[in-house]
Amino acid sequence: MPAPFRIVFEQRAETPKYLSALVPLISVLAALVAGALFLTATGYSAMDTYKNMLDDGFLTYRGITETLGLSTVLICTGIAAAFSFQMNLYNIGGEGQLYLGMIGAAWAGLALGPHLPSFVMIPLVLIIGSLAGALWIFVPAFVRARLGTSEIVTTLLLTYVASSLLKHFINTPNSFFRAKNVAFPQGRNVADSAALSPIGDTRLYPTFFVVVALALFLYWLVKKTEFGYRIQVIADSPRAAHYAGVNANKTTIAVMLMSGALAGLGGATLIVGPFARLDQGITLLGYGYAGIVVAALARNNFAGIIVSGILFAGLRVGGEKLQISTDTPKHIGVMMQGAILLFALGGEAFRRYKIRAVRMKAVAQ
Amino acid sequence: MNSNIWLLSFADSVAIATTLILAALGALFTERAGVLNLGIEGMLLTSAITSFLVADSTGSVWAGLLLGIILGAVLAAIHALLTVVLRANQIVSGLALVIFGTGLANFLGKPAEGKTIKTTIEPMSFGPLSDIPGIGPVVFGQDIITYVALAIAVLASWFLFRTRAGLEVRATGDDPATVDAQGLSVATIRIRYTLLGGALVGFGGAFHMLGQSAAWHLEATTNGVGWIALSLVVFAGWRPIRLIFGAILFGFTLQLPFTLQAEQITFIPSALMPMLPYLATLIALIALSRPSSRNILGAPKALGIPFVRDER
Repeated sequence: MPAPFRIVFEQRAETPKYLSALVPLISVLAALVAGALFLTATGYSAMDTYKNMLDDGFLTYRGITETLGLSTVLICTGIAAAFSFQMNLYNIGGEGQLYLGMIGAAWAGLALGPHLPSFVMIPLVLIIGSLAGALWIFVPAFVRARLGTSEIVTTLLLTYVASSLLKHFINTPNSFFRAKNVAFPQGRNVADSAALSPIGDTRLYPTFFVVVALALFLYWLVKKTEFGYRIQVIADSPRAAHYAGVNANKTTIAVMLMSGALAGLGGATLIVGPFARLDQGITLLGYGYAGIVVAALARNNFAGIIVSGILFAGLRVGGEKLQISTDTPKHIGVMMQGAILLFALGGEAFRRYKIRAVRMKAVAQ
Repeated sequence: MNSNIWLLSFADSVAIATTLILAALGALFTERAGVLNLGIEGMLLTSAITSFLVADSTGSVWAGLLLGIILGAVLAAIHALLTVVLRANQIVSGLALVIFGTGLANFLGKPAEGKTIKTTIEPMSFGPLSDIPGIGPVVFGQDIITYVALAIAVLASWFLFRTRAGLEVRATGDDPATVDAQGLSVATIRIRYTLLGGALVGFGGAFHMLGQSAAWHLEATTNGVGWIALSLVVFAGWRPIRLIFGAILFGFTLQLPFTLQAEQITFIPSALMPMLPYLATLIALIALSRPSSRNILGAPKALGIPFVRDER
C-alpha cells in the first residue's frame, strides 16, 4: 500500500529574516539536547559536563582567553574554506595548506629571524606562511581551471603529502628544522624576533585581532566590491559569467590561491604564537578540517565565521578540560562539534524549503 | 636481500588491502549512485571501536563484526537523510560525519584505551597449501575476511556491469533525470546504496580492528585509511576489479617503509615513503582528466549533485 502522505519541498522565494537567525540557534540547541541524552544514556552527568564545558570554555577568564587564542587558527581555516566554498570550489585540503604554512613560517623564522628585527619579521613570517599555503594549492587550482580535475580529491591527496613532508622535516637527522642535541625528534624553536608574546598571562596572541580584522575585510570584499560580485556570478551561473566576459579560469585560480594562502596564514599564526616551532602534534589536531565545519556552520559568511570559530574553539577548550573537572571523556567536545553541524545541515532544509506533508491524492504523479 | 622479509611484507600488505577493499567498495557503491560520502574515516573508527567493545564483552568476533557493520550503516543513514532527503551539501555532511564519528569513537573507546583484544580473526589454514614456499603464505595464509572481501569485489563488478539493478545504480550516478523519467525513484536508489556502502565501510572498520590492530589506540587506530580508501576509488576509476589491484598496491606502499627499514635500504627517506601512493593517485588523476582520456577514469557524472526534480 502506498504511503497516504508525501513530503513536499517547496523552495522559498525569500527566506524570512527570523528563520535565518532562528535555524542555527535551534540547531545548536537540538544538538545539545541530543548530546545530553547521549551522555545520560552512557552513564555520565549531562548537567555536570555542560556546566564544566561552559565554565572552562567561555565563562572563566582563563577559559575565554584560551578559547579566543585557539579561535585564531580556526577562524583562519574557516575563512580559507569559505572563500573557496562560496564559489562552489571545494578546497578540503586546508589541513595540508596549514602544514605548509607552518613549514614556510618556521623556515622564515629560523633562516631570516636572526638577521631581522621583530617588526619586520612578524609580518614577513605571516606572509611567507601564506605564500607556502598558496603554493600548496597551486597544482590543484591550475588543473581544476584547465582540465576540470576535481579539487576535492587533489587537495585532499596533497594533505597526506604535506603531512609526510612535515614529519620528514622533523624526523630526518640533521634536518634544518630539527632541534639539535635532543633525543626525541622535535622542531627547533624559531628566533625570538619571529615569536610574539601572549597578551598578559593568557594564551591569547595579538594575531587574533589581525585575523578578526581580516575576516571583516573579506566580508566587505565579497559583499561590496567588483571582485566579490564576479565570484557570486560565477558561483550562480558559470555560463552566464562566460557570456558576460568574466574570465572564470582566472577567477578560479585566484580564489583557490587565496583560500590556500588563508589556510597557510593559519599555520603561520601557530608559529609566531603558541607553537614557535614545527611540531608533528599538529597532525592530530585537525584544525584545517575543523575550518570547513566552522565555515559551514556560518554558511560561508565571513563575519559569522568569527562567531562560529569562537564557539567551536570554546567547545574544544571546554572539552579538553573535562577530564580534569569530571570523569566525562574529553572527546564529547569533538563529538558535539560534529553533532552541531549535522543538526545545522538538517535545519538548513527548513530555512530553504517549506516542507509540508500533503495527501497522496493531491499530488499528480 | 632477505626474501622472507619481502614475502611476509607482501602478505601483510594483503591484510592492509583487505580493509582498503572493503572501505573503498563501500565508497564505490555510494558514489556510483551519485552520493559522495567523505565520512568514511569517521565511520571506520566508530565501527572499529564498536566491534572491539562487542567482541571484548561477548567473546565473539562475529558479534563484533555484525555490530560494526550495523554502525557503519547507521552513520551512513544520517548522511543519506541529510543529503538525499533534506538535500544538504554532501561534502559538508561527510566532513561533519568524520568529526562526529571520530569524537564518538574516542568517547566510546576511552575505557578500552590501550587494551588488547583476546579473540581475533585467525588466518585460515589450507593445510599443506599454506606451506608452499613463496606463494603459500600470501595466497593461502590470509584470514577468511580477506577471501570474503575479494569475493565481494568480484560480485560487485558483476552486479554493477552485468545486471539490470547495477545499471540502474550507475544510471543514478550518471544521469538521475533519466532514471527519474523511467519511473524509478532516484532518492530510494541513492538511500539504498548509501546504506549498503556504509555497511561495507563498517565491515572494513570492524575487520581492521579484529583482524589487524587487535588493540585500541587513541586517535591512531585507522590512521587515515578512510581517506586512502576515497583516493583509491578514484585511482580505480570506480571499478571494483581495478580496485582490488589498487588496494594491494596501496597496501604494499603503506607498509613498504617498514620493510625497507628492516632491509636497511635508505635511498628514499622513510618519512617520505608514505606520500608515494598519494602522489601516484594525484598524477594518475590529473593525467586521466584530460578531455581525451576522461572516459578511462569514468567518474559518475552526477557525483555530489543533489537530484531535485522540481527545479528542472
